[in-house]
Amino acid sequence: MNRVVLSERLVPNLYRLVLEAPEVASAARAGQFVMVIPDGRGERIPINLADWDRERGTVDLVFLNLGASTRKLAALKPGEAVEGLAGPLGRAPEVSGPGAVLLAGGCYGIGGLYPLARELKQAGRKVIFLAEARSPAYLYWEEKIRKYVDEFLTMFREDCLGSGQNFKELVGGVISKHPDIALVMVMGCSYLLFKFSEATTGSGLKTLVSLNPIMVDGTGMCGACRVSVGGRTYFACVDGPWFEAGDLDWQEYFNRRKAFLSQEEQALARLDREFWKRTE
Amino acid sequence: MSRTDRLEPGQAERLFREREKDWRKALRRELSIQKRLSIERQPMPEQEPRVRVHNFKEVNLGYALELARAEARRCLDCGQPGCVAGCPVAIDIPTFIKYIEAGELEKALEKIRETNGLPAICGRVCPQEVQCEKDCNLVRAGKAPVAIGHLERFVADYLCLREEAGAGISSSLELARRPEKIAVVGSGPGGLTAAADLARLGYRVTVFEALHLPGGVLAYGIPEFRLPREILQSEINFIRALGVEIKTNFIVGRTASLEDLRQDGYRAFFLGTGAGLPSFMNIPGENLLGVYSANEYLTRVNLMKGFRFPEFDTPVPRARRAAVIGGGNVAMDAVRTALRLGAEQATIYYRRSRAEMPARVEEVKHAEEEGIIFNFLTVPVRFLGNDRGQLRGMVLQKLALGEPDSSGRPRPVPIPGSEFEVEVDLAVVAIGQSPNPLLIKQLPGLKLGRWGNVEVDFQTMATSLPGIYAGGDAVRGGATVILAMGDGRRAARAIDEFLRRE
Repeated sequence: MNRVVLSERLVPNLYRLVLEAPEVASAARAGQFVMVIPDGRGERIPINLADWDRERGTVDLVFLNLGASTRKLAALKPGEAVEGLAGPLGRAPEVSGPGAVLLAGGCYGIGGLYPLARELKQAGRKVIFLAEARSPAYLYWEEKIRKYVDEFLTMFREDCLGSGQNFKELVGGVISKHPDIALVMVMGCSYLLFKFSEATTGSGLKTLVSLNPIMVDGTGMCGACRVSVGGRTYFACVDGPWFEAGDLDWQEYFNRRKAFLSQEEQALARLDREFWKRTE
Repeated sequence: MSRTDRLEPGQAERLFREREKDWRKALRRELSIQKRLSIERQPMPEQEPRVRVHNFKEVNLGYALELARAEARRCLDCGQPGCVAGCPVAIDIPTFIKYIEAGELEKALEKIRETNGLPAICGRVCPQEVQCEKDCNLVRAGKAPVAIGHLERFVADYLCLREEAGAGISSSLELARRPEKIAVVGSGPGGLTAAADLARLGYRVTVFEALHLPGGVLAYGIPEFRLPREILQSEINFIRALGVEIKTNFIVGRTASLEDLRQDGYRAFFLGTGAGLPSFMNIPGENLLGVYSANEYLTRVNLMKGFRFPEFDTPVPRARRAAVIGGGNVAMDAVRTALRLGAEQATIYYRRSRAEMPARVEEVKHAEEEGIIFNFLTVPVRFLGNDRGQLRGMVLQKLALGEPDSSGRPRPVPIPGSEFEVEVDLAVVAIGQSPNPLLIKQLPGLKLGRWGNVEVDFQTMATSLPGIYAGGDAVRGGATVILAMGDGRRAARAIDEFLRRE
């Protein structure tokens, strides 16, 4: 039983769940994810580990309330349980190495990158954290993250619009101000990953993105999450989720994420009706 | 070589002793051999093809008691039974069949359970025609073999579905009397069999399952129309009744390492991690939307109950024209699933000819009755997509059979210039699986074979690492349920010897 210890809305549409999962907590590494099944009829969805507490035996998940499964998770109350939680999954990225690391996160990725900031810092690396959000009201965990980073930068869409600079120029500005950056790691929505990949392509700067394709089992058994990197097919669940951004076939990645779009809408509409009935 | 020579040491004597019991002698005298030979094989009652293509209920309906007893009377109770030697777990087949004839169904089940922990499953999914039924002496007499699989299934269903878990556990069994803990990784047929046997031997067994439901391939791979889930559940309940603990959502190699488990006091290990690595063809267009591995397609439908979407959240692709590539049981399961999900046309493309198809005869028969189209000596060379990355068709090539390859089957050779195009909106690749590397690649010193399979001594299923045993598809690649069970059985015996030696 993976019971909910705490459930909160961090900012509009982004939620945090603290769940009992002692074995997962004790094995967790930064940059990994878990598979979660919201309820007995639910699907298996991957969610990044945003934190864990080995003593209390809990894990933190931060996720965007977007489809039927995440809506079910967001509606959970303390004391209730998810149907299943398995992990930690995926390869934890290497944290040691020369130079500074730019961690760039948006959406759930701000939370998902938090353990990575902590592990990088503990490994003695300089960490610059760039949080991307719609506006300051959509930023969360700033205090928490600041403890482990040398610099905390923000990038708000409204600033972007106001400055007249495009995304590439803004990111370029950050990178040129920090010549010691040797590695960029990005987590968040696919579009953010793609824009970052565009911004650093050609600069020779190693850019790793944490992919979030559709998965079923999460253990390499089904191949739902296959991605093309450098002309070869990989399974994001076991070979990833971190891949070199410049080598990824982005068009294929975007297409494959939309494989079940119409069914997802159908499931959501159905769930909304159910929730509505319950409130009546 | 006489038929009983293939039996394990002591088995022939045990069979003989059972056969010489008074009740058996009396039963043999009840009906002459001529009379027994004159009874026709009792057909398995089935759902009508045009009905069953619209549902996921089991195709075979099972024998009623009278049919089963009639079929049991066909068994000659011969002195040299070929059936037992053909069974990978060496069930005492004549004895259980004669118990059916005598109406002693509890005893029949207990007899099967002595060597087979999953009779309701084996009765359904074993390829009997190449195992027990192949060497039935009735075949020599020019008759159809005794329907051993149907009878096994009958006994298991008749009792297990009616009684609480634990039917067929001998009361003399002393469970959990030994202190040693044993970890079984994977709850498929191999793991469950090893677990059941070790529990009978008195060990404390924990089965670790990565998915949220136990059963392995029985849960994610085999569709409900072949293996209803309440059957699987009742078999798993039986194994739990033996005292086996099953921990789901536990990925050995991720949630904890094998070393962690050793520190936790587990003294021996059985790796039944299965063939959870789907093979793709590595041809252009394979990552288009609409191209699935059989593992993904079947997992969505079976494990996640996607066929009941939107009642269940996991979506499955619904196709108009479905193509399944492959000729094994997995391919049959996938293509018949596509039909049940509403495909107007569901087609098998297999690169060899009908004779080489590895699927069970009954599955092929059922598929044909349901209107599945078979294309032999054909292989896709390219998938075609539209501008949104969705599958719209494939280019196929015709093949001819050439010289036998390393598997002994004729090698398919492409015919130049034979390419043609078909329109499809779903393609399921069912050309095989290899062992899931997640755990086995993490164990330094574990000897692996050419296809990433765990190498074992097949007598004991011992791997190159002491105390670690393996079986099933992790060792064999894509094999059968019963071979995995045989492996689990031999491993359990060897683990017992290993722990007694220590």
